[in-house]
Amino acid sequence: MAKEVIMPKFGFNQESAQIIRWLKKAGDVVEKGDPIAEVTTDKVDMEVEAPASGVLDGIRYQEGETVAVTKIIAYIRQPDEQLPEQTADLGSAPAAPKPPMPPPILTSASPPRVTPVAARMAQEHGVDLSQVMGTGPGSRVTRRDVERYLAASQEPHKVRATPAARRLSRELAIDLRAVTGSGPKGRVQGSDILTAQKTQAAPPPVAPLLPEETLEVIPLRGMRRTIAQRMQASAQQAPHITFDLSADVTAAEDFRRRANARLPEGQPRVSFTAVLAKVCAWALQHHPLMNARLHGEEIQVLAPINIGIAVALDEGLIVPVVRDVNQKSVMQIAAEIADLAKRAHTGALRPDDVTGGTFTISNLGMFGVERFTAIINPPETAILAVGRAKKQVIVGEDDEILIRPIAQLTLSADHRVVDGAIVARFLNDLHVGLEQIDTLLM
Amino acid sequence: MRELTYAEALREGLRQTMESDPSVFMIGEDIGVYGGAFGVSAGLLDQFGAERIIDTPISEGATVGACIGSALTGMRPVGEIQFMDFVALGMEQLVLQAAKIRFMFGGKAKVPMVLRMPGGSGTGAAAQHSQSLEAWFVHVPGLKVVMPSNAYDAKGLLRAAIYDDNPVIFVEHKLLYKTKGDVPEEPYEVPLGQSKVVREGQHLTIVATSIMVSRALAAAEKLTQEGIEVEIVDPRTLRPLDMGPIVASVKKTGRALIVHEAPKMGGFGGEVAALIAESEAFDYLEAPIRRLAGLETPIPYNRTLEYHTVPQIETIVAEARNLAEGAY
Repeated sequence: MAKEVIMPKFGFNQESAQIIRWLKKAGDVVEKGDPIAEVTTDKVDMEVEAPASGVLDGIRYQEGETVAVTKIIAYIRQPDEQLPEQTADLGSAPAAPKPPMPPPILTSASPPRVTPVAARMAQEHGVDLSQVMGTGPGSRVTRRDVERYLAASQEPHKVRATPAARRLSRELAIDLRAVTGSGPKGRVQGSDILTAQKTQAAPPPVAPLLPEETLEVIPLRGMRRTIAQRMQASAQQAPHITFDLSADVTAAEDFRRRANARLPEGQPRVSFTAVLAKVCAWALQHHPLMNARLHGEEIQVLAPINIGIAVALDEGLIVPVVRDVNQKSVMQIAAEIADLAKRAHTGALRPDDVTGGTFTISNLGMFGVERFTAIINPPETAILAVGRAKKQVIVGEDDEILIRPIAQLTLSADHRVVDGAIVARFLNDLHVGLEQIDTLLM
Repeated sequence: MRELTYAEALREGLRQTMESDPSVFMIGEDIGVYGGAFGVSAGLLDQFGAERIIDTPISEGATVGACIGSALTGMRPVGEIQFMDFVALGMEQLVLQAAKIRFMFGGKAKVPMVLRMPGGSGTGAAAQHSQSLEAWFVHVPGLKVVMPSNAYDAKGLLRAAIYDDNPVIFVEHKLLYKTKGDVPEEPYEVPLGQSKVVREGQHLTIVATSIMVSRALAAAEKLTQEGIEVEIVDPRTLRPLDMGPIVASVKKTGRALIVHEAPKMGGFGGEVAALIAESEAFDYLEAPIRRLAGLETPIPYNRTLEYHTVPQIETIVAEARNLAEGAY
């Protein structure tokens, strides 16, 4: 009996995952536990393991396809076993053409709920019900939903065009669908066809990127795609306000040295980031709005203080989260950051390691960056961008000239959630906490 | 050239035709001593006498019936209906008799009559004296329908109508009677069934009838200052309708606006729109065919409301601008 390979559910809120690549191909012999496919959720890249030993067969999804969790993606059969007919190998067959303009997709772990008449209609028209958005009770797919889906899949064939445009498109053999309409509601006018003809007749314009000038084409998928989507959404949706702070880190560095001197055997060294996380957690406790998230029409002020630490990998940026930072010692925090960073680099992070953050620190000081601004990691409210601590000449309390390590801290905050004054007070506490670190004990 | 008013041009046309042709005579209410409700026949009683300028009792049935009967015997009567609205009272004779006789007698009888009638609003004459009922007659095979929009056409079309062997409904406009235009002294005919391009332009075609032609011309002068060049076609004869110049114009401009005073629903404009859509001009349309017409209401007595019930220069300007600039 062939064993089904299902798309695993790695995280609590995960609904689907995208297949990045098949590590084995149909016909390969696999051992139970062998990684057979690499998949990515919107958080992390993971491997799907063979659920049994045997021959991989009946691959149902191509690389690049997004699959709902618990769906069968392939089978492991015994060498002398035939797959049942309905599990025919789709991996070797050309992919079925997709509808030209899919309506809103509902990916769901369970099979869609559907009314009997809708099910019959879907069968008659060969509609994949998982592609149909249900609007009935309990998101049930109704007859109207199927009708709307069918209508929508017909839509692209209809083009708004004036009779004159249609005649010209016939006469000049120009595809109406390829022409941008300038008339009301995008209607294609006769003049649009004539313009299109001129464009087509003219020598092709110099493309911004000629293929031969392209060094490499990198598909936007996996982690890169996730970063692209999340950062774009944050930059577009969250109005960022940024604040600069110069902090004398003499006391923090001194504290770090003393902590490292007392470090138990084998314990990772305390980093500046760990000290900063501790100070941030302390300041966040005093300014709960900075530890909040905007959810629909509500601002949810969060109890746990979980600080994400941005880690740069070759593939991109990942932000593992240290939980309840306010309840942990600096040494503990340092140990956790070290562990998370190590696992980030080896791709061994679990989904729970990268979720639940309430605030993020991005430290690029080690790269020599003096100052930068960061984009808020949604749905968090703020992110702290940390530059290199650099020795500078400053004027002290008593007008004396001092040489001190000064770090540039830049905080970006979501103005929908907090106003400048709140951020300023938070920054003031951060400043005090960093420069007079024993304040944290008070 | 010599200028005459629209009423004077009609009178001159009637006089010249009656002088040269004894079979032509006039019949109607108050056309004799009174000279007609709008003065078209003023003075004709003195010249031609009561036998050829016949006053009738207040009976449109009598006027229309006498026209049909005399026409059948070889006369060329010109009947006058005081207000177009009252033609309803002669409708049976017009539609069931005048329009049918030539066909039902296999061409052995003919009804060469003209029935003149002033239509249109703008004089404060209220709902029963202000209608534009031309579409009623356009719907009847066997009738011809003429709507002159200026003095020159009025004189020429009237002569052509008198010498046409079919019953011709000759719709004048009350507000046009006093408008002046160049009119030759000698008798001439403007042939029935010939549309005329009265202004050339490349952005938009306006098909206008009767007084809407002059309003469209005025609108075009305003639009030209905005860079919109309007082409205006005056059908002049609504039935039989000469679509040639209209189709050619719409093929040129790609946009058609039809303007008439009668209510839009069931109006003549719908017929023109349909004929454009059925024609080869369809493939040249760059926007929906639009109609600007009277509101769906009896003409109000209140002068302000009356004004706003039918297309005016400014509403034509606005609608034409919208159509030319791609709002539709």
